[in-house]
Amino acid sequence: MSQRKSYAVGTGLFIVLGFAALAYLATQTSSVANRQQGASYTVDAQFENIGQLKERAPVKIAGVRVGQVQAIALEPGKSVADVKLAIDKRYADIPADSVATIFTSGLLGDQYVGIEYGHSKDHVADGGKLALTRSSEPLEEMLGKFFGAGGAADNIGGSYMVTARFSNVGSLSAGSPVKMAGVPIGQVLSVQAEPAKLDALVTLAIDNRYNQIPDDSAAAVFTSGLIGSQYVAIQPGGSPDMLKNGDEMILTQSAMQLEDLIGKFLVNGSGSSDGKQGANPPTSPAGKH
Amino acid sequence: MNAAAPPDDTLIRIRGLTTVLNGKKVFDALDLDIPRGKVTAIMGPSGTGKTTLLKHITGQMHGDAGQILVDGQNVPELSREALYALREKIGYLFQNSALLTDFDVFENVAFPLRQHTKLPEVLIRNLVLTKLQAVGLRGAAGLMPSELSGGMARRVALARAIVFDPMLILYDEPFVGLDPIALNQVLKLIRTLNETLGITSVLVAHELDAIKQVADHIFLIANGKVVAQGDPRTIADDGSPWTRQFFGGEADGPVPFQYPAGDYAEALGFPRRGA
Amino acid sequence: MNARIERDNIVTQALGQIGNCGVFLLQILAAIPRSLRYGRETVRQLWFVGAMSLIIIMTCGLFVGMVLELQLYHVLSMFGSTSMSGTVVAIATYRELGPVVTALLFAGRAGTAITAEIGLMRATDQISAMELMAVDPLAYVAAPRFLAGLVAMPLLCCVFCALAVFGGHLVGVSWLGIDNGTFWSNMTATVDVWQDIVSGVVWKSLAFGAVVALIAVFQGYTAPPTSEGVAYATTRTVVASSIAILALDFVLTAFLM
Repeated sequence: MSQRKSYAVGTGLFIVLGFAALAYLATQTSSVANRQQGASYTVDAQFENIGQLKERAPVKIAGVRVGQVQAIALEPGKSVADVKLAIDKRYADIPADSVATIFTSGLLGDQYVGIEYGHSKDHVADGGKLALTRSSEPLEEMLGKFFGAGGAADNIGGSYMVTARFSNVGSLSAGSPVKMAGVPIGQVLSVQAEPAKLDALVTLAIDNRYNQIPDDSAAAVFTSGLIGSQYVAIQPGGSPDMLKNGDEMILTQSAMQLEDLIGKFLVNGSGSSDGKQGANPPTSPAGKH
Repeated sequence: MNAAAPPDDTLIRIRGLTTVLNGKKVFDALDLDIPRGKVTAIMGPSGTGKTTLLKHITGQMHGDAGQILVDGQNVPELSREALYALREKIGYLFQNSALLTDFDVFENVAFPLRQHTKLPEVLIRNLVLTKLQAVGLRGAAGLMPSELSGGMARRVALARAIVFDPMLILYDEPFVGLDPIALNQVLKLIRTLNETLGITSVLVAHELDAIKQVADHIFLIANGKVVAQGDPRTIADDGSPWTRQFFGGEADGPVPFQYPAGDYAEALGFPRRGA
Repeated sequence: MNARIERDNIVTQALGQIGNCGVFLLQILAAIPRSLRYGRETVRQLWFVGAMSLIIIMTCGLFVGMVLELQLYHVLSMFGSTSMSGTVVAIATYRELGPVVTALLFAGRAGTAITAEIGLMRATDQISAMELMAVDPLAYVAAPRFLAGLVAMPLLCCVFCALAVFGGHLVGVSWLGIDNGTFWSNMTATVDVWQDIVSGVVWKSLAFGAVVALIAVFQGYTAPPTSEGVAYATTRTVVASSIAILALDFVLTAFLM
């Protein structure tokens, strides 16, 4: 019978230990640790585009977490998203003219709402509204702006075909855009391997409006941005004759692998700095991370 | 058959029991009456279903046809609850004792009491020690089953079987593997329990000498039927070929020594005579 | 009978086993109300099945956390995001490794013990003895072990996960020098209590506990009452549990997450 009692005590201890572990996981290692920080008040903010913002995403001031997104709804009748922010009562002194912005943590991180303080003496109250907002900027647009790439040409009705050979097309595929000076002028119609010549035959469909392309122009496979998709860029040459349907472009530049690019960059960078300032220690952190 | 005996004198009444197992007829319209308050032995060649018969009586197995009336209740038709209520009045001694290996001797004997009663601890203790004293193992109350010899384990199992003062005890091969001293102790216990408590006992065994000392009545079963029955002193004299073979221990008779097989000479590869 | 079993192909056998197992589950569930009076037996089984598995679960949890952290550190250092390694340890453990590894260990440690014990109880007629003492073995033997497995698995899984996070912290912060604050703040910012802990740790391990306990009790209960039969049933417990755990894990992941 004493044996029985020891089982009961041991089993009780085991159960307590199990629940303690669960409580530890739930409160110390999960978002509950952030969430339950006492009472909060709600503030509305309207955005034209919330991007990937989700409920329970953090709200931060100067990078410090002050609350979370409580609800996201479409404002009735308008193409505007209404976002309710639950902000901790401890941060009750947010100026009424503060700006709410949707940021992305790092390049690929989750999105969050950042609040930048204004100068108003009035504070936002519970149920109040942040009038000044800045919407999420889609990464594609940012990259697009940065690299000057737009969308693909939309009409392929009247177009003419030219071919080009590349020793490496990278991840170019049918449907990829063809651009000149960054402007889409057509698209890739097909990519075929030519085993006999050890290269790839790419057929380009170019809009009839752009029929003034010199026949010694060069075609190159480029990448939009660091991790974007690939496209064919046409660099005009100086010949008086123009490309016609069925012509082949002789001058081509194959796809550059990202690894090669970075390699070149790093080699050039360290090379030039070594050349100019020999005092640099050899343990320069140029290629460390 | 003593089918005409008054029901009060008959504790177990089996009528027309027919059981088929794996295509073999184990019981073929078996009729059997076990008198109340007596020691009855069921004997028979190996494989005739003696243990199976006990399992029918306790409702662990069901026949394909027939009645088994135990104390007036037809076992095959009982509900779970009624069957369990009946089993509480039946003690069963297993061939290999079947003590619960998790518990010591005391707890093994106390197990039925703890499961079916809410008796105070003092009373349970007294009851268990009384039964252990009866089988001569009060001193072993603290041992675990693994520390017991076969004879001791069987006596503990007997103490457990009688702890509820049942109306009926079924002994499945109680003498197997016992040395002469333990055998005599078990024989004496069976006799004493029957005489002092009036418990009906049913024994399944092969040991003719032992059974002659203890049984009031013997049934000899073979081929799914009762082939002979009677007083231990006179049963061997009824002149039937079954009793002559069984009690005389002869190899030849109605019970074949050879398991059914093909032609011997052919199996050994010899040409068949006359072929 | 044996000849017939040999002639049946393996698929028919497996399907038959699954069917019998399902029927057995219903029998156990029906026996649970009757087993409530044997609460003490359930507590005792919880001790054998749960508390006695703690040491192996804690050791393995610690090492799984440590080795995950070590591996992740080397990979993530290529991207300069080693401070996320603790988060990945936590999420990987909560969602997959915790429930699955705990269940596999549980099948090996407790499941085999249950099968062997019940198989031997049957081989030595203890189950029949209970029936004849008017004690329902389904309620006294099978249901308490099933319940114990069901309760023990989530608790063991929580302990496993806590130890894994501790092991990750030990390697990441104490040895590899990740900042303590970043380690925890990244973890708390990413781990979701419903998505990761409740539907990962709790639901998955409950389901695995039920499956392992059911298979272990079933194999023991239906094992041929010979030493060979019990040995074979024990092996089958491990094999069937492992397959069931991983298959069920896929299904649960598809539905829960």
